Amino acid sequence: MDIKKVNEKGNTLEIKNLVIHYVSEDEVVKAVNGVDITIASGKTLGLVGETGAGKTTTALSILNLVPDPQGKIISGEVLLEGKNVLTMSDSELEELRGDKVAMIFQDPMTSLNPVLTVGDQIAEGLEIHRKISKGEALKQAKEMLELVGIPAERAGEYPYQFSGGMKQRVVIAIALACSPDLLIADEPTTALDVTIQAQVLILINDLKQKYHMSMLMITHDLGIVAEVCDEVSIVYAGRILEHGTLEDIFDNMRHPYTKGLFGALPDIEVRRTELKPIKGLMPDPTNLPSGCPFHPRCDYAMEVCSKLPPETKWLSDTHCVECHLYKDTNESML
Amino acid sequence: MENTAKKFTTKKEFFKQYKKKSRLQEIWRSFLKNKLAVVGLVLFALIIIVAIAAPLIANYNNAAIKVNVQGRLSAPNAEHMFGTDEMGRDIFARIVHGARISLVVGLSAVAIALFVGGAFGAIAGFFGGMVDNVIMRCMDVFLCLPDVLLALAIVAAFGTNQLNMTIAIGLSFTPKFSRVVRSAVMTVRGIEYVEAARAIGATNTQIITKHILINCIGPIIVQVTLYVASAILTISALSFIGLGIQAPIPEWGNMLASGRAYMRDHAYIVMAPGLAIFVTILSLNLLGDGLRDALDPRLKQ
Repeated sequence: MDIKKVNEKGNTLEIKNLVIHYVSEDEVVKAVNGVDITIASGKTLGLVGETGAGKTTTALSILNLVPDPQGKIISGEVLLEGKNVLTMSDSELEELRGDKVAMIFQDPMTSLNPVLTVGDQIAEGLEIHRKISKGEALKQAKEMLELVGIPAERAGEYPYQFSGGMKQRVVIAIALACSPDLLIADEPTTALDVTIQAQVLILINDLKQKYHMSMLMITHDLGIVAEVCDEVSIVYAGRILEHGTLEDIFDNMRHPYTKGLFGALPDIEVRRTELKPIKGLMPDPTNLPSGCPFHPRCDYAMEVCSKLPPETKWLSDTHCVECHLYKDTNESML
Repeated sequence: MENTAKKFTTKKEFFKQYKKKSRLQEIWRSFLKNKLAVVGLVLFALIIIVAIAAPLIANYNNAAIKVNVQGRLSAPNAEHMFGTDEMGRDIFARIVHGARISLVVGLSAVAIALFVGGAFGAIAGFFGGMVDNVIMRCMDVFLCLPDVLLALAIVAAFGTNQLNMTIAIGLSFTPKFSRVVRSAVMTVRGIEYVEAARAIGATNTQIITKHILINCIGPIIVQVTLYVASAILTISALSFIGLGIQAPIPEWGNMLASGRAYMRDHAYIVMAPGLAIFVTILSLNLLGDGLRDALDPRLKQ
């Protein structure tokens, strides 16, 4: 494993105050509204939130792949090992994509090209970034296949000859082929059934440790977060409402929204209790509520919540929350 | 972990033997189900074989272009299967050699249209926006002219020979291919594997050639077969009005034109080239329709 170049803080990824809007003729969809993310080298951050909270858009911005004509990056920086991805030229981006940062897409059924063999698809990244011959790339592709638990002989087969779980393994092999520093996993198990989910998660975890990668895990499944992540950010309407280590979030959750998410989980011990869904729906991203975006659904909403956006409050060195409830709290009170 | 994966694979192998049918085989099977399409394929294959084997079937110099005034305008008989024309040339030999010109010009004209139109269409469809607008509006201008008229203008301007005619027909079909390829590219470019290819650092050129065009091949093949038929018809039309292949070179269109004067008393003179054109176009249209049905899963019953 080559020694990773990291900036002075040792962070693989730093996103600072990222704002992304989707602009169409008659409306502006505010997808991401000031997200800050830091992933230390070798660590895994879980990005948790409902559908439409801006998780995927944030992830795409790391590769500078936000859909072009509509998606506008209004402000912010995405620093990968200290270099701003958003100001890179096309050729710099092509070098970066797949080599330094790789992405596992949500749906393995559509993220593989149906007319190319899986071996070719894994080899493609190697050919581009390692500048090696096709034969050599195919050989390494076969090794990658073995690594994700698929026999190398199957490299010559087409995606339709694989089951969903195996396709996702192929997608993982493609992402890991060039041993990236940062792996973005965009709901990697959403399209798979539960038994395969476990296999794929174990695989991702094993490989992450083997290659000492940093990872951004996007999901709405708190079970997955508990399994693979070191830190968790809770995203709501394009803002991070609470951030902390796994313990901070799972054992000392502070934000009413985080509490709501956990309240909506079934309890395996007490099967007869009713689930407590969070009332209401995600706000319309074209017309976000004033103040705190969560206030219309919040049980603890105060007058100030609808007027002023809450500021980030650090409750400890690792745990921060964006909520008016904790404005005057300090560490000793918790 | 390793173990479960292995087991899973062998089980997969086990099931695989029951469904070992590639996509191509599946297309081939549904193509075979369409009897008319098979007829089209067989007819077109025969025409190709005849064109390739033309020198073996009939002598070009002695039968196809040598004037023989004594034996002119004889009805079909044992010696001359389709009879002889107004100059005593064997019509069968002329049809056989005419097939070569029709096929060569037809196929190469469509190849020109496919490469030029396809390239523009792919670029327009892939990049969209301004690029798309500029390219497609230019194509629209050419699309306004009927293709025979456009080809006619080009041939009239640059002179009549086989090469000019090929280029003329090719260019007149270019806008049609650019539209087909553009729409096919636009449907494919939004699929996730294109984004996935970009995420591993593929350049635009690599994405277009390796990921997009290869997935558009179905509609393109169908267009090619249908437009080869159309090109052959255009060659004959141009030759018929005297702007295509010039006498004495045998070509179905100019055979029709020169036989026109004798049509009243010697109908077989125009019947043979007319039938040749008809059968070729029919076979290509049947083939194209069959391919379209086989390649498009939505049209399957």
